Amino acid sequence: MIDKVRQIISDLLDRGEADAVLALANEHGNVQPYLYKKGDSLDNLVLWPKYSMGPIVQSIQNADPALKLAVVVRGCDDRALVELAKRNQISLFNVRIIGLACTEAEAKECACAHPYPRSIDVGDKIDGIVSSDELAEVSGKDYGGRLQFWKDAFARCIKCYGCRNGCPLCICEDCVLEDDAWVKAGEIPPPFPIFHLIRAYHLSDKCVECGECQSSCPMDIPLTSLYAMIREEFSGLFDYMPGADEDRKSPLVTSLEEEPIREGTA
Amino acid sequence: MADVRVGVFICHCGTNIGGVVDVPSVVEYARALPNVIYAENNLYTCSEGGLASIREKIAEHNLNRVVVAACTPRTHEPLFKNTCEDAGLNRYLFEFVNIREHCSWIHMHAKDDATEKAKQLVAMGVAKVQWLQPQQEYEGDVLKASAVIGGGIAGMTSALSLANQGYEVHLIEREKELGGLVKSVNRLFPTNVDADKVITPIIEKAKANKNIRLHMPAELKDVKGFIGDFDVTIYENGADNVIKVGTIIVATGAQELKPDGFYNYGKMDNVVTQLDLEGKLKQDKKWIDDLAGVTMINCVGCRIPERTYCSRFCCITAIKNAWILREANPKAKVVVLHRDLMAYGVEFEEYYRKAMEAGVLFLRYNLDKPPQIIGKEKPEKIKIHDELTDSHLELPCDMVVLTTPLVSARDNEAVSKMLKVPLGDGMFFLEAHLKLRPVEFATDGVYVAGSARWPVDITESISQGYAAAAKAAIPMSSGKIKVEAITSFVNIGECIACGTCVLACPFNAISVVDTDGKMHAQVNEAMCKGCGTCVATCPSGAIQQKGCTDQQILCMIETLAGGL
Amino acid sequence: MIDNGFEPKILAFCCNWCSYAGADLAGVSRLQMPPNLRVIRVMCSGRVSVEWVIKAFSSGMDGVMVLGCHIGDCHYIDGNHRTKKRFVLLGKLLGALGIEPDRLCLDWVSASEGQKFQDVVTKFTSRVKELGPNPIVAA
Repeated sequence: MIDKVRQIISDLLDRGEADAVLALANEHGNVQPYLYKKGDSLDNLVLWPKYSMGPIVQSIQNADPALKLAVVVRGCDDRALVELAKRNQISLFNVRIIGLACTEAEAKECACAHPYPRSIDVGDKIDGIVSSDELAEVSGKDYGGRLQFWKDAFARCIKCYGCRNGCPLCICEDCVLEDDAWVKAGEIPPPFPIFHLIRAYHLSDKCVECGECQSSCPMDIPLTSLYAMIREEFSGLFDYMPGADEDRKSPLVTSLEEEPIREGTA
Repeated sequence: MADVRVGVFICHCGTNIGGVVDVPSVVEYARALPNVIYAENNLYTCSEGGLASIREKIAEHNLNRVVVAACTPRTHEPLFKNTCEDAGLNRYLFEFVNIREHCSWIHMHAKDDATEKAKQLVAMGVAKVQWLQPQQEYEGDVLKASAVIGGGIAGMTSALSLANQGYEVHLIEREKELGGLVKSVNRLFPTNVDADKVITPIIEKAKANKNIRLHMPAELKDVKGFIGDFDVTIYENGADNVIKVGTIIVATGAQELKPDGFYNYGKMDNVVTQLDLEGKLKQDKKWIDDLAGVTMINCVGCRIPERTYCSRFCCITAIKNAWILREANPKAKVVVLHRDLMAYGVEFEEYYRKAMEAGVLFLRYNLDKPPQIIGKEKPEKIKIHDELTDSHLELPCDMVVLTTPLVSARDNEAVSKMLKVPLGDGMFFLEAHLKLRPVEFATDGVYVAGSARWPVDITESISQGYAAAAKAAIPMSSGKIKVEAITSFVNIGECIACGTCVLACPFNAISVVDTDGKMHAQVNEAMCKGCGTCVATCPSGAIQQKGCTDQQILCMIETLAGGL
Repeated sequence: MIDNGFEPKILAFCCNWCSYAGADLAGVSRLQMPPNLRVIRVMCSGRVSVEWVIKAFSSGMDGVMVLGCHIGDCHYIDGNHRTKKRFVLLGKLLGALGIEPDRLCLDWVSASEGQKFQDVVTKFTSRVKELGPNPIVAA
């Protein structure tokens, strides 16, 4: 699989279809985003562990908007790029997507139900994980049980903002979670559920299922389960998946004529 | 909140509030609230004495925030805001607390609870008022020019009305001549005067008026801008032409329904609509002498499930034409079949009576047993079921006239999108408020007159033409519009130009612009209506609404949560 | 109305043109209601931020109401379309976290519906009484 990626990258660079290709490289034992130019050796190219490419594309384009960029993306990156483009944070105009489908092991790592980009260049599309054990556990409880589950989980929160920082779609310059009016400084854990419910609501039309929130969390809070529940509710109401369609606007912003609530769900 | 000095005025409203709420205890409670410098109660705060007291106390105690706890802001808020302004305090540093409609009047038998509630509501108001900021109302210029779209009777009336007041009027007509539907009409009820004699002088006046610039034929292509400053693009003489105006009047009229599928229309000769008949009557009238019988069928294609409305003046049109035919040929059997007759008022009722006296037969029919036309290429007889006598009649009939409603003009959807004004039932234009604002749209600066809004007769078209012109003249005469300072505003530093608010705004008042290299949202104050939908959509709170910021509402929630 | 000794704290956001006016009419008509309700006035129900409601629940409100114009009648054309979508969604999110969605009331009251306002408020207060105190702040 990795050889195929190397081939695609060098072809794009040789043919001049891309000025630079964003991928991952193992440099001195550390995996980091790497911008390959024409003539660079591709020996240090790696595909795993994954890295959130959305914010990197943003930085690159801010520095050099005219650059013809190609980027190796997994499903979550692809979706993140779409949502960022919708919100004018990046432009997909001059960007060539190199779509990488995840393996079963990789999908299991993130408990991801859509481990593939819109168009796949390398790898095979697999079905993905529909439900993790945790998610099944929470979904099966009644209101009281669920509330206790989440209260206990969020009682561990040390307000490190790791989930917010790692999320490719948390792009606000002035995050309300750092505004004293909403979340007072110095209160650990933040009062339930204001921090996490506000973030969940903000991301309900943006969550691309990358799992960065949970992997960033030092306190093992089962965030991917929470966001899986959020995504399911949102999809049930609006038949909308963030990142699936570049031209479709978020149902939360549009009129009922443009994006209705699905019948029988409200 | 440096040096905030709040004054609280609590109203008894006679016994309306005072009879349930223990007002003195609420006053004492208010005095103890943070930053409240002064509190008093009044018997009637809205009385001259109450207002004088507010003015005095603002001066005496150097108050810079005022809270009145009384009835509903929907009645007296402007009054109290004016009072603050008279005393030199910015009118936006005022907060109204409702302790009557929302408290004393609905908890009449729970006096302790009502008093407790009043205290909390006052505390919430006092908390909010401290976060209010002084505001200046946005003032925009209004061009003293108007575009009237449609050169029918309503459009010409508006155009002449505005032109005679000295405004520049651009009259835009799609066809090659002015006059609209009236030009196709033979005579006008209830005086039976020749329609041409009425419409022609108006057309001449419109053409001759120095202030009316006639664009004919011309098609409306695009409209940009907002009240005071519209760019109207029309296509005339083979090219685009952009007209700059301050107001726009929509007078695009309507069209007669062609009843395909009803009563053999289009399949048999001599089955015509009222408008077809008007055309025939304008030419030579010899054919009337040969008529054995004419039957008019009213309410064809309307007052049915697919089109439930009544088109208002078609009954009287049928009566008019029936009477004309009967008078021209007293031997002809002239019948009007109806499902209720709309002949309201003094003149129309009289008109109906005269038609009956002339021998026109009025019979009621039912859709369950509709009339049947007997004939091959054209009608020869008609079989009618009379509802009143529950019997069948067969009458000689060489002509059937179908009375059909007006339906919306074909361009309404396109025009509504260009002007960003809504369409209602039947795709007619939807006014701001049926009773209170009949010739305006919710969008400022755009008005409507005539059948574009709903089927109307000439009298109503003219009245509405005058009304729309009068409304349009208001902003144009002062040359300025003032916008209440409850609009949204953007903190440029916080905004990431994601464009979400742009999409959320029902009035297209927000756009993304570049200021010194930073992209950010910007609110057009002239177009912003102050709904605040944008604010609720922004995840970062970069856009806020004056008088309703997150901070101002949060402090009310906190007060409520804390003081319980 | 059940009498379990619990008096819920209820906050309602009402829009100036419809529900607030409807509430006024209820007052003018002297339609009596339980005294648990506190109203905050906004120009349009579209202004009601989901974050406010989350904050209200987080701070201890037992029930929150968002009352706007009927769909199609919004003074600001379609501000209330967003209101509907947001709060239908919030109901689901609350449920996902284990907070009873019935604690959130989304309804439409026109300026002429004083009776409906009384009805909606009375029924909601009763329901919240049944549900008991806000489970977030309860131990």
